Formats: sequence, structure tokens, C-alpha cells
Amino acid sequence: MIPALTAFAARVRAGISAAESRPEQPAAPPAAAGAAGFSESEFNRLALELFALQFRHNPAYRRLCEARQAVPGQVRHWAEVPTVPAPAFKEFEFTCLPAAERTRVFHSSGTTGARPSQHFHCADSLALYEASLWPWLRRHFLPELPAGMARLRCAFLTPPPAQAPHSSLVHMFDTVGRNWPAAAAGGSGPAGPPPLFLGHVAADGAWTVDLPRAVACLEAACATGAPLALLGTAFSWVHLLDFLAEQDRRFRLPDGSRALETGGYKGRSRVLPRAELHARLCQQLGLPPAGVVSEYGMSELSSQAYDAVVRSGGGAGEEAPRAFRFPPWARVQIVSPESSREVADGQVGLVRVFDLANVWSVMAIQTEDLGVRRGDGFEWAGRAGAAEPRGCSLLAEEAGRRGAPARRAAPFLVRVRSRPSGVTVAERTGPGASSPARP
Amino acid sequence: MNLPDYFLADLPPAAALTPALIAEACQTLKRNRAHFLADRSTRQVIELLSHVAAEWLRADNPFRQLALEQGPAKTGFAPATLARGLDSFFGSVTRAQLEALVEQDLGEGRRLDATTAGSGEAGARRAAMACGPELLVHITAGRLPTPTFHSMVLGLLTRSAQFVKCASGAAFLPRLFAHSIYDCDRKVGACLEVAEWRGGNTALEEVLFAEAACVTVTGRDETLAAIRARLPPGTRFLGYGQRVSFAYVAGEALSGRQALHLAAAAAQDVVAWNQLGCLSPHVIYVQNGGEVGPRHFARLLAEELARREAVEPRGELSAEEAAGIASRRALYEVRAAHSAETQVWGSPASTAWTVVYEADARFQISCLNRFIYVKAVSHLAQALHAAEMVRGKVSTVGLAAPAAQAEQLVRQLARWGVTRVCPLGRMQAPPLAWRHDGRPALGDLVTWTDWERD
Repeated sequence: MIPALTAFAARVRAGISAAESRPEQPAAPPAAAGAAGFSESEFNRLALELFALQFRHNPAYRRLCEARQAVPGQVRHWAEVPTVPAPAFKEFEFTCLPAAERTRVFHSSGTTGARPSQHFHCADSLALYEASLWPWLRRHFLPELPAGMARLRCAFLTPPPAQAPHSSLVHMFDTVGRNWPAAAAGGSGPAGPPPLFLGHVAADGAWTVDLPRAVACLEAACATGAPLALLGTAFSWVHLLDFLAEQDRRFRLPDGSRALETGGYKGRSRVLPRAELHARLCQQLGLPPAGVVSEYGMSELSSQAYDAVVRSGGGAGEEAPRAFRFPPWARVQIVSPESSREVADGQVGLVRVFDLANVWSVMAIQTEDLGVRRGDGFEWAGRAGAAEPRGCSLLAEEAGRRGAPARRAAPFLVRVRSRPSGVTVAERTGPGASSPARP
Repeated sequence: MNLPDYFLADLPPAAALTPALIAEACQTLKRNRAHFLADRSTRQVIELLSHVAAEWLRADNPFRQLALEQGPAKTGFAPATLARGLDSFFGSVTRAQLEALVEQDLGEGRRLDATTAGSGEAGARRAAMACGPELLVHITAGRLPTPTFHSMVLGLLTRSAQFVKCASGAAFLPRLFAHSIYDCDRKVGACLEVAEWRGGNTALEEVLFAEAACVTVTGRDETLAAIRARLPPGTRFLGYGQRVSFAYVAGEALSGRQALHLAAAAAQDVVAWNQLGCLSPHVIYVQNGGEVGPRHFARLLAEELARREAVEPRGELSAEEAAGIASRRALYEVRAAHSAETQVWGSPASTAWTVVYEADARFQISCLNRFIYVKAVSHLAQALHAAEMVRGKVSTVGLAAPAAQAEQLVRQLARWGVTRVCPLGRMQAPPLAWRHDGRPALGDLVTWTDWERD
């Protein structure tokens, strides 16, 4: 145990609680809300303090900072804190936790035989992860809470946690599921049924959506009129939507239903641009455009960004322009790959995240995602050519450079159905899939 | 200077190409060839080509000036990079090299003019004549103009009408070359067509392939296979797939002074066309045991690249390309912070150039645009073993070795499957007569008529 980190995490949690307990303003831009505990100066103070702690307790990180000659005391602003490139989590243990205290590890997947990235956790760090993920998801995906949600049912298109213990995404969904019944009941009245996991891990390790159960879930929602919240990876959505199209099935989910989409495809057999995926979600499930929200997350982070606040009531009015925004306890910068300086609004650059909830690993993460800066948020704009060198295939390099979208580094293995025969092959998605380990 | 509308690629971007337009262009080309080109002698064509090339080398040549003025915006190459690349190519298109090419590939200088006999044939009372395809179609790819120029030169030598289909956005320099030929000889220029569209436009390509006698394709292996499958039976196909290259520096070549020269030569190979060609090195293998070791050589190369950047800047990249370099560089910096087996040198506050030294010999595909690996090996066999995953895909090896070792090393490389070995510093400057991917490029275009005399 490192008491200083535990104490720091407690302060971050207190800040999150303070932000959460502010009056709900679902219509206000999320970034405007909850800044109380994390004003710019307070964020800076906390970030520099955390940098000093991580420099001290995270040996792999300290070596990198020393090599870059950026050490506590010299660094004056959170944006100057040395970042760790996300793919480096595959090769090095960027953690403050001694081996004996690592009770959980989240992996991103790679191609078969590749080393996955590893984000080590202990009970305290998981508690902080959970404390960070829930309020921001709730604010965007369940803005009506705490009132009026008792009938809303919830289901995930992923395997349950027992089958995917190393997935940060599944852990996040599980946390949502655990918080759901009480939250949906709003503290009054009976709690609804617990959420369902509609996927499973097949014998070959691939994630697969249990299609009959998913269809039954959609049918039940339509039959009872109880709105449904469905959360899944982009690829699991494609899997389900393709199946519905093949069966010539369309649904009109009850008002108040909504969908959350996260992650990507990474060179999978079929890649849908996000706009097309959202359009199909609306067409095939009868959701309003404002009932679909995208999430941006990575196994190396403990906070997530969302691109909109659900408006499930029929989608009246113009939809606000979408941009991913992190909670007030994290900051994003879009930096020029040339100069590493923040780009101007509307310009494209690499996405860099500073996440105060990443207490036991590294706060400052350099992703391989490209984003267009939109104020304090960003629009996802593709991926840099895979950083991790490859030598195994000329054409893989080419494919990598083409930047198939896949930004979630959560370990989701997805079963791809090769169409139309229905023969299945194991595939994995996630940025790691583009980055086989050093050959 | 404004270019007249001689070619389809000269039309404004809004002008739509139609299958009928392509068919008409092909028929016009064939007609013009019959009238203006088919009966030219090899000597006349060589005269024309060497004249056009010499013109391109002049600073006041209007096509060259246009290439250097507008080229940076249209191709992404800085003016100095363009100038050096153009000089290197057109410097090789001389009468002597053109004659040598014909003799090398066809055995005798007048093979395309008349039935002639080489020494072996004459004794057997045999003679032969070579003829080029009536319409030669080139499907080009990639960002370098020189492979396209080279194909056009070969096609003119065989007196073929030529349709050059460029990838979208890549027609600018081939178009200028075609204009420069037209400017010199309108009749020959009328046997050329240059157009650009995004590959895979089957409506246009079907017409084009139906008219072609021979199609050359440069590009990814899948592209080659896809086009090959769409050609009518009887249409000849010449595919040039993706290749990679590397360099090998023998330890004995690395004496103090010589090491500086070799670092400059290696930098030239990295800077030339910003390393984007199949002939550009991804990795430089340096043998241990020389006066200057591999890591030291990497540092010398970094210093040389910094010098070259000052006078011949790489130019801007797309965000995606730059991000690829930044990401990969960042990862190597993490490795370097943890192990002495990796070291990184890079341009400050930019991605202009990067040198990664690694003790691990395994071949790596570079992200290019002046990103080079230097890897330590004990001997050539270790380098070849480490490059096993690209075996059969290697075009060029830039070699620096003492004369006494060179022949033996080249034999080793040839048996392993390398198709070209050249001195370090000349990887992107093959002679005109080089055998592209190990094949006689001119020889592969022609069809022979053998004559067995009474």
C-alpha cells in the first residue's frame, strides 16, 4: 500500500462526488457542469501532485521522465507532464503497484500471439475507476435520472464479467449494471430487474452476441412498452444489425429507449462509418438520432468521453454538433504530431488524455487516435499508422496506415460472421489488433 | 506557363471521363501510332528521348520549372527533393544508356528496326526482329513519378502507343513529361495519352483493357491480382508488386573517414524521394567490428540527416502520416529509456527525420518519410536471416563493402533472392537498363518474330 496514492485517490473521489452532486442540468453542455472541484487551477495543482507521486512510485514511468528530462519541480503545467504512448503498455509495466498488490489487470487485445497492453489494478484503483465512470455515463446516457426511469431496462451486448475478467469495458458495464436498479428506481419504488449481458465468450475465445436472446430482449421491450437501453461495441452492433437485416426484422423500440456504441472494428470484415452505424441503429431499432451516444474509452484510462447527451423523447429540435468530452477530472489535448503543441480549434492532431482517475498507473496518456479539436472536446478522425513496428507483413503495414477506425483499447473479442454462409471465424477488435507485438 | 489541353489529364477536374471517351482516345492513339510512330527507327526515338531528357536537366526548361513551382503542392515533395529526383532520372536517359538498354535486352541495337542476327544466330542461319505492343497501357501507383517516366521511355522505344492511367491526384508529373515530349515532337506526343482516375472504375477500365495489347501494373499485390483477372485473354500482363529494400554496410568499410562518406551516402538514400519508393531502404544493417560501430554509424547518419534537412527539407506530411511517425518515435523513446539496446535520434519539434538504432536485427518496415532503422549484425547471413519475412519481396540492397568481399556478398544476396545490388547512396538512382524486379523490362514488352533462313 502506498498511503500517499490512496489519500490522493480519496481526494479525487471527493471531487467527483462534489461535481456529481451539483444540480442536474441535462440541457447544459456537459463540460460546463461539474467544474466545481476541478477548476483549471485546482486541476493543475492535482495533476502536478499526481505527477510527482507517479514519478516516485512508478519506476517505468520515472525512467521515461528522466530520459525526457521532465521531472517534478521543473514541470509547471499539467500539459507539460510527460505522456506515455498507449502501445508502450504492452511492453512495460507502467504501474505504481508492486506485483503482490495487483489484484486485477485489464488488457487490450492484440492479434493472436501478440502481447496485450496491461493496466494493473487493486481494490482502491478499481473503486476509483467505478467512481469515475458512473457519473459521467449517467450524465450522458441517463440524463433523466434520478426521476422517471423505473421502467427503463438495460442490456449489454458483451459477455458477462465472469467470462471477460480482463476487459475494462465489461467491468464498466458491470458497474453500470450494479448501479442501475437502485438508480433507475430513484430511491423510491421497487428496483427494476438487473441488466442482462447478451454476449458470451465462445470456446475459441471470441466474443459473440447471443442473437436469439438479443432478439427476445428487443421483442420484450416492444411487447411491454418498457424502454430499453442497449450498450455495446460498434462491432457487436454490426453483428446484431446484420442479423436483424438478414431476418428482415425491424423494431420500433418504446419511447425513451437508447443505445450506446463504443469501440471499433480494426480491419474487420466489415467496417461501418460511425454515421452509418448510427443511421442503421435508428432505422432498424426505431431510435431517434439523439437516442444514440458514442463513448470513447481505453483500457489504459479510468475515465471516458461521450459525444452527446441522450435525448430520448422523440428527438425534437436540431441535434447539437457532436464532440467527445471527458469529465472535469480529466483533460484532453489535441496536439500536433510535429510539434506536440496543442492545435487550434478545428485542426486535426493526436489525442492526448490527462486523467486524474488514473492514480496507480500513469495520468498522462498519448493515444494513437487522431481527433479534430472542437473547443474542449474533439471529434474522432482516425488513427495514426500503428506505432508498434511490424515486420511480418508488408501489406499489414499498408492496412495499418489506412487507419481502420478502432479506438477502444478494451479487450473485446468479437465473433465475425462471414456472410452469408454463417460460418464463423474468431476475430478480435481493439486498437491492439492493429499492433501485433514486436515480432 | 499554361499547359494546353492535349491529354485527358489536362481537362478540368469536373470533366467526366466516359467509356466512350476512353475508347475513342485508344483508337486515336492506335491511328496516330500507325501514321507517326510505328515506322520510326530506334536511332530516331533514342535521339528524341535523349533530347527531351537533356532539356529537363536545363534550369530554364519550362516543364522543369513548372514541376518545381507546382510540384510541391501537387506531389508533397519539396523543390529540392523534386529537383534531385528529376536530375537523377533524366541524367540517366542518355543516348549511351538508351543504346545499352536495347542491346542488353534485345541482344542487338537494331532489333526493333529490322531482322537482325546476333553472333550465335548468324551461324545457325537465323535472324529475328522484335515488335512492341500496338497499345501499351500503364496502370501506375505510388507517389514517385520516375517509375512512370521509365515505363513511358520503354514504351516509346518499342514504338507503342501508350495510355498512362495514373492514380487519382498523381498525374501531374507524368503529364508534364508527356507535354515535354509533345513539345519536342508533336507526332510522337500524339501517340501518348495520360489520364487519372481512382482505380477500380470498371466501366472505364474495361474499355481500356479491351483496347490494350499489353498492360503494365504497379501497385499492391491485391491490385495486381485484381487487374490481371479482368484482362481479356491474349492481353499481356506485366505486374510490378510492392517491394522493400535495405542496405548492408560491411565492418571493414567503416574506417573513420570512409564512415563519414558512407553516412552521407546512406542519408542520400533516405532523403531521395523522401524514402517513399520501393528502392528506398527501410533498414541499414551495419556489421559489428568495424572501426566505427553500428551505433556510432547511426549517430553519424542522424547528423547527416539533420544537415540534409537544413538544405533539402522533407516538407509537410498529412496529419495521419506525421502521427504515425510521432507515435512510433514515442514508443522507441520508451524502449530507449529502458534499454541501451535501443537509441533514437530525431529532428527536434518535428517529424522531419528519425534514426532508430536497435541491437535487435529483425527487419522492420519503416514508416518512411525519412524514418530509418540502423541495426547491428555480425555478418550478412545474420541480416538475411533477420529479413526472412520479406524474402522474395526485396528489390534493392545498397551495399558498402571492400572490393575483395563485394562479389561474394552479391552472390549471397542473389541466391537469397535480391534482384538489385548497388552502392550505398544510389539506391533510388538505378541505371536506365536496370532489370526491374529482376526482369528485363524492355525485353518483357516485345514479341519476337524468328526467321529461319533457307
